[in-house]
Amino acid sequence: MKTFFIATAAFAAAILAGCANPQRSRDLGNPAIAGPVLAQQACSLCHGVRGVSLSPNFPNLAAQQPAYLVAQLTEFRSHSRQDPAGYEYMWGIARKLTDDQIAGIAAYYAAQPPAHQRVEAGAARIDEGRRLFTQGAPDRGIPACSSCHGDQGQGQATFPRIAGQHGDYITKQLLVFKRTDQRPDGPAMQAVAHQLAPDDIANAAAFLQTL
Amino acid sequence: MASIALRLGAFRLMKVLLPGFLAIASMLLPSNASAIPLFNRQTGQNCVACHAGGQFPELTPYGRLFKMTGYTLGARALPLSVMALASVSKVANTSKSDDPSADFQKNDRPIFATGSVFVGGKVTDNIGVFTQFTWDPYATTTDSGGFKGRFAADNMDIRYADRLIGDSHEVIFGVSTNNNPSITDPWNTAAAWMQYVPVPSPTSSQFIDGASPYPGLAAGGNIAGISAYAFIDQTLYLEAGDYRTAKGLFSFMKWGLHDVDVTKLRGDNPYLRAALNQAWGASTLMVGLTHMTSRIYDDPLDTSDPSTVHRYNDLSLDAQYQYLLDPHAWTAQFVWSRETHDYPAGLVGQPSPFVDAQGNALPLSSPTDHTRLLRAKLSYVYQARYGGSMSLFDLTGSTNTANQTSGYDPATLAITSNATAAAPSTRVNGSLTGNPATRGATLEGFWLPLQNLRVGLQYTAYTRYNGARDNYDGFGRNARDNNSLFLYAWTAY
Repeated sequence: MKTFFIATAAFAAAILAGCANPQRSRDLGNPAIAGPVLAQQACSLCHGVRGVSLSPNFPNLAAQQPAYLVAQLTEFRSHSRQDPAGYEYMWGIARKLTDDQIAGIAAYYAAQPPAHQRVEAGAARIDEGRRLFTQGAPDRGIPACSSCHGDQGQGQATFPRIAGQHGDYITKQLLVFKRTDQRPDGPAMQAVAHQLAPDDIANAAAFLQTL
Repeated sequence: MASIALRLGAFRLMKVLLPGFLAIASMLLPSNASAIPLFNRQTGQNCVACHAGGQFPELTPYGRLFKMTGYTLGARALPLSVMALASVSKVANTSKSDDPSADFQKNDRPIFATGSVFVGGKVTDNIGVFTQFTWDPYATTTDSGGFKGRFAADNMDIRYADRLIGDSHEVIFGVSTNNNPSITDPWNTAAAWMQYVPVPSPTSSQFIDGASPYPGLAAGGNIAGISAYAFIDQTLYLEAGDYRTAKGLFSFMKWGLHDVDVTKLRGDNPYLRAALNQAWGASTLMVGLTHMTSRIYDDPLDTSDPSTVHRYNDLSLDAQYQYLLDPHAWTAQFVWSRETHDYPAGLVGQPSPFVDAQGNALPLSSPTDHTRLLRAKLSYVYQARYGGSMSLFDLTGSTNTANQTSGYDPATLAITSNATAAAPSTRVNGSLTGNPATRGATLEGFWLPLQNLRVGLQYTAYTRYNGARDNYDGFGRNARDNNSLFLYAWTAY
């Protein structure tokens, strides 16, 4: 009985100690919680503490362009990005974030060292992907990926970093651009994606894993 | 032929009852599908974020972390949810029974089976609550053959949790007070979570999969405990707890239950859990061990004599593999468990009222029962909308003449039942062998037309029941007579 009461007292003490913990809070409705705290305590559950996610369902965010992250979180918050992965997972998370918190989260992930993927595809597919990335397919009106996303796929401003991204995520997002209007933020990408054949998508996704 | 007839019966059931279920479900549901239960309101996310393929209650890796961090992620929201289940259960053979109206209550009839209210969610940055109170319209049977409902405490888990993140390591840790050992566990192979749920109370549901052998801990729910846990580098999970009878400050954990239904534990009853978790790509694998020792009074209304205590020793090995990559959700689950049950001295060495077929005396009742249970389940959900599962169960154990409800009469050598047997029915729940061996399989298909509505059809088949394939009760009832069909609509709001 004595140990039970000691444990009860310890639990009660823990409760009293836990009323507010802004340094390690997961409160997505409190504007006082700093963006990096939310990145570590909340976003990291899917995207990883260092922005490297294990599951291809969730994109790597390490070394992502901060302007791109700000744009995406803002669009999740306003519901203008409507792809399933967006509304199922991100609308709720982003709904009460302040602009300051969004900027803090973006800066946190932008500062993480970039992710490197395990290369899964064969050499032929990777070579085709490299060609598309560096040269595009001018005969089909497809510009080189590198023209907007940078020569190393590092991104620039609102053009995201795509180097080292999960192949499955790249594939699914290219299909969102190709088949839907669920990401109105990327009209240029929509135009490009309409021209992409299934093999182009697979090749590009394979090559980006090598960067 | 019987199985063909049953299949035809299943089709008829589907044809007649499915529209009714959908009508009931549509009444229960809000017109706006964005209205969702309390954790969804707190995080703003869809069910599929925390539940694998939207198949509640099974958790995704994210759902596990949400739980381990004490339900504190998100913004405080209305801390209430409700859940309701409508169902039809149909047992293959209802004729081989002394009293079919008692043995198969509400058989082949749609019922409002159960409803729950959940109170919980984020309280502070470190404290979160998950409590469930359940209304069971069929909790007790009255003398006139009617039913009396009951609203009572169900699962409860109140936590303090924190997460420390360093440069190369992290730990999630917490303390929980709860009323059911392993309810705290984030994996669905834990004793409190692996079961197909819920199970309606009327006896027509006594053979559906959720009521077939599961690796439950002997102590069960409605007790009170405190456990501390840590999840280190999202790899090693350790938990240790201690459970006692729910009383005093912890009386709320058995709220609404009659004293006779409350498990009375003697002293401290330790619970230990260790699990290794590994994630790669879309896959996660967990292998774990659970151990609990519990000492339970034989009569919950008389705890005056320590010699009337049953002692149980439960050990289980469980494993779960998940592959979650939209739109696919695969889960494979496996549990092997072992239970040793030491009877109180007063129940040991008792003579059996029966003899064997040659008229020789049977062994005296055993001091200890040993059981082993193997459970395996594979499920798949596509687009968080269409899913199915198959599962196997195989319970084996030692024979004990105390568990016989029928046997050979010493005078006539004809099979007779024991009027003083503890079983609710000496036929349907009876045992000629005194052995618990029960084996079977379940197939389920389900559909999630909305993320908070599941319509499922489940069929459970038995090849062995209470120690025998045929004539397990001694009067001609066979294991396959218990094959059961279960159609349900389950919703939460």
